Amino acid sequence: MNRVELMSPAGSFESLQAAIQGGADAVYFGIEQLNMRARSSNNFSIDDLASIHELCANKKIKTYLTLNTILYDHDISLMKRIINSAKDNHIDAIIASDQSVLVYAKKIKIPVHLSTQANISNIESVLFYSEYVDAIVLARELSLSQVTAIVKQIKKQNIKGPSGELMKIEIFAHGALCMAISGKCYMSLHTNFASANRGACIQNCRRSYIVKDKEEEIEFEIDNEYIMSSKDLCTIDFLDKIISTGVNILKIEGRGRSADYVYTTTKCYREAIDAYFKGSYNKESIISWKKQLETVFNRGFWSGYYLGKKMGEWTDEYGSKATLRKKYIGKGLKYYDKKKAAEFKLEAHQLIKGDSVLITGPTTGVISVQVEELRVDNSPVLSVQKGNIFTMSLKEKIRPSDKLYKVEEKNII
Amino acid sequence: MIRIIQQRKKCIGCNACVEAFSSRWSMSRKDGKSVLIGGHKKKEIVSIIVGDDEYKENVKAATNCPVNIIKIIKL
Repeated sequence: MNRVELMSPAGSFESLQAAIQGGADAVYFGIEQLNMRARSSNNFSIDDLASIHELCANKKIKTYLTLNTILYDHDISLMKRIINSAKDNHIDAIIASDQSVLVYAKKIKIPVHLSTQANISNIESVLFYSEYVDAIVLARELSLSQVTAIVKQIKKQNIKGPSGELMKIEIFAHGALCMAISGKCYMSLHTNFASANRGACIQNCRRSYIVKDKEEEIEFEIDNEYIMSSKDLCTIDFLDKIISTGVNILKIEGRGRSADYVYTTTKCYREAIDAYFKGSYNKESIISWKKQLETVFNRGFWSGYYLGKKMGEWTDEYGSKATLRKKYIGKGLKYYDKKKAAEFKLEAHQLIKGDSVLITGPTTGVISVQVEELRVDNSPVLSVQKGNIFTMSLKEKIRPSDKLYKVEEKNII
Repeated sequence: MIRIIQQRKKCIGCNACVEAFSSRWSMSRKDGKSVLIGGHKKKEIVSIIVGDDEYKENVKAATNCPVNIIKIIKL
């Protein structure tokens, strides 16, 4: 059986480093406004493509550029400029759904992955798009038996993409799901003129609502208030079944998420995939991975539609159910190579010897450690206060662009 | 008189302002973002002072903007 490729989200250089550290085989990212996280302030620009390629090529990590919004006539020129630049900078493929992108990418010979925004749910659609794309991200609403049937038919019918290789199939393994079929939701557009299909979703499905019968003025009692907010997809406990479908690529959702989210999810799925192929995928490991996944952003987990049992499971809490929370406490200043000590300025709260901290930065990625030693003016101290400049022993190098966070269990904060 | 202010860098190019008032707003085919017609750029901010007769239409453009980057100030 072929190994599966693990694709992680990179919404910033921090997350990109985190994906690399976590063991991703590939990363996907958006640039400028033509991607499904257009609202995010973290999007890369065209000028970043060379650095992204260089960082990833050194580690033999594939790079995929998302260009998967609906496109209007005024976007065509920018779309072509982005694709030209992607080609010039050796980006491995474009993730797209609009036909104008497929046609142009084929013309200049850069591979395309068909985005889940195209909702591909049957083999005839796979065949239709095979003229333009080398990989297809299936609709997230399919069951594993439907995914398996599509993969089998690709082999049976020998469906190949423009590269001449058998069509690759990708599915989502972890992260947020929509309450609607992906790309078919207009709620944000209707209420706030903010189109989800232009990457501007305001996520009003994630809020709590009261359902009222206007004629009788009766409010419906709903046990779970968040009736439109789906729990997050997690497949780590049935990853064996996922891989057995024969899919080629597993994607982690979350270009809007923080670097520690990207690191933890990537690391867990990396270990799980490797364990599956080594024959050591077992219950104990699953419990451990799930516990780690619960520490970062999540709305509670469910198996999505893959196991075909129940319909949507809705969250009972606003925002994240992560068991750990991080709060910003300071910034990096410099690193002393010889002493292996990192200097920070504490800008908020206090830090005590023994606390767990997280350091993130565009070059540093993610460092997670427990504070073993604190020093102010080279003298050991038990705690440091807001305003203090201090050092702590650290094996990894830190930089002035790094942020320091204190990590605590959720109920303590 | 009114002052129209646009934080152009954050524009996602959705065309909503143009739909609201195409005499003052257009879409750039160069970078796909909206253009405040006649506006002056200072750092990341584009602005222009126009007559009160444009107030209603530009408020509509500002209200419809999904990323809230248009501000209308009565002078």
